[in-house]
Amino acid sequence: MSALLETRALSKRFGGLNAVHEVDLQVAPGEIRALIGPNGAGKTTLVGMICGRLAPTSGRIFHRGEEITSMPPWERLKRGIVYTFQVTSIFKGLSCYENVALPAQRKLMTGIAARVALAESAVATRVQAALDSVGLAAEAGKQADQLAYGHQRLLELAMALAADPQLLILDEPTQGLAEAEIAQLCDLVRTIARKATVLLIEHNMDVVLSLASRVTVMDAGSIVAEGTPAEIAGNPVVQKAYLGR
Amino acid sequence: MSDRALGRVFGLHVAVIAVLFAAQFVLPPYDHTNVARILVLSVYALGYNVLLGYTGLMSLGHAMFFAAGMYGAGLPVYYLGFGAPGALAMGILCGIVVAGLFGLMALRTSGVAFLIVSLMFAQAFYLASLYFNEITLGDQGLILSGKLAALEFGGTQVGFHEPALKYNGALLLFAVCLLGTLVLRLSPVGRVLIAIRENEERTRLLGYDSFRYKLLSLVVSGALAAAAGATYALLFSYVGSTFASILFSIYPLLWSLLGGIGTILGPLLGTAFMFYLVDLASGWTSAYLFVVGVALLVLVLWFPRGILGTVRARWLPWLP
Repeated sequence: MSALLETRALSKRFGGLNAVHEVDLQVAPGEIRALIGPNGAGKTTLVGMICGRLAPTSGRIFHRGEEITSMPPWERLKRGIVYTFQVTSIFKGLSCYENVALPAQRKLMTGIAARVALAESAVATRVQAALDSVGLAAEAGKQADQLAYGHQRLLELAMALAADPQLLILDEPTQGLAEAEIAQLCDLVRTIARKATVLLIEHNMDVVLSLASRVTVMDAGSIVAEGTPAEIAGNPVVQKAYLGR
Repeated sequence: MSDRALGRVFGLHVAVIAVLFAAQFVLPPYDHTNVARILVLSVYALGYNVLLGYTGLMSLGHAMFFAAGMYGAGLPVYYLGFGAPGALAMGILCGIVVAGLFGLMALRTSGVAFLIVSLMFAQAFYLASLYFNEITLGDQGLILSGKLAALEFGGTQVGFHEPALKYNGALLLFAVCLLGTLVLRLSPVGRVLIAIRENEERTRLLGYDSFRYKLLSLVVSGALAAAAGATYALLFSYVGSTFASILFSIYPLLWSLLGGIGTILGPLLGTAFMFYLVDLASGWTSAYLFVVGVALLVLVLWFPRGILGTVRARWLPWLP
């Protein structure tokens, strides 16, 4: 099996804290991988290094067999590695349309002419498709900070979708969503997973068990267990460290 | 933006240019010259606004770019006998080079640090213009009258002392720069610049190398400021160190704030408003800066978005 994404002995230190310690993670193409663990386990730090937000202290990262350890974030996005923030990070002062248009136009901006005058209809089609798939098509003209919190989360997801993800990293996407919205989001993630690989950080175990093909458990900066959802749910180490049962 | 909305936006800006063109036939001579001056200075403010209003970088060193354009155009006229088109091109080129070199160094910083660095560079530039006073004549400056060859339009010679040339030269520059800024604002690149202003880290994670875009914005901003400086030198026949001083870095900031940062027509309104406010106030009192200060306080306290920013927020949300 050749991994889509692989980290080798990846570490991040913040001062005296080993936020992530020598993590070896392999994600296969097409899977939905859940990353779980208690608060402070290093999950967000780990994916931060994968998407290029944070520079690792040591270790290496490979995507499709090529090393991307020191590649800047915008180059990683071009390779299809797309990250959605745990804390909603939309452009609050801009309309929903503009929020999604920014990633949507990325692939169309080739050559100088397209940078100056892009056929806006091509961008609009992509924006509309992304907003449609999260159910926000009707809100396109609304300023992003006028949206309800749950809808802001969905907008964040629409921005990621507009970037054509090959590896979509979702950092606690269900946080703050109502039950009905969570169900809707799960359906959406399944749809995305038909074309892309998904790396999902999630606290809601129902979501993890229903979506994930494999689950990786982190604690104190290291991977403590990995397996199918059923294996993980029955693992005594995991139950002690995380599920609290 | 839909075609209809696009048509409305371009229609408005072309209409403004048309009104300014028509105004030259009705304005009294005094205001005729003033408006020509305002138009050139507005281009300076337009350039400033690209950086502050559409990219979110506040500079206190733009006088360096204005003066680079001014010296870049004026010195070749004075010493080498350049004609106006060549001098203008030289001025703009100088602005681009200075802004590019400055950007490569200064854009490693952001926020207040960028502000201070830009101020430092501009001060060094100002002091250099005094230091080399054998060439620049420092504060005293160079008078270009008589050095600059008249332009020829279909066999007619038009000298640079002609008010019509001043007005229409200024208007042509303004129209080109206004529409150019508008196109930039509405382009995909403009969308990236605004995203950087709103949230730079997010923009990087959405696939854009923000440094390159900021550098581009700075170079465009510097080129516009230099075009204004060069045109000012040619039309008003004077090149001097005063234009490189800190005061000339503060002016475009004030004009942009007054008119509304992040609006295309704001710089024109802000420049005109301030110009006439100073003009009127200095007619009443020698303490005219006091009046200017009060006006600024009123604006900052009650209209923090500036004239056009307020209009956009309340009535015309489609204004770019």
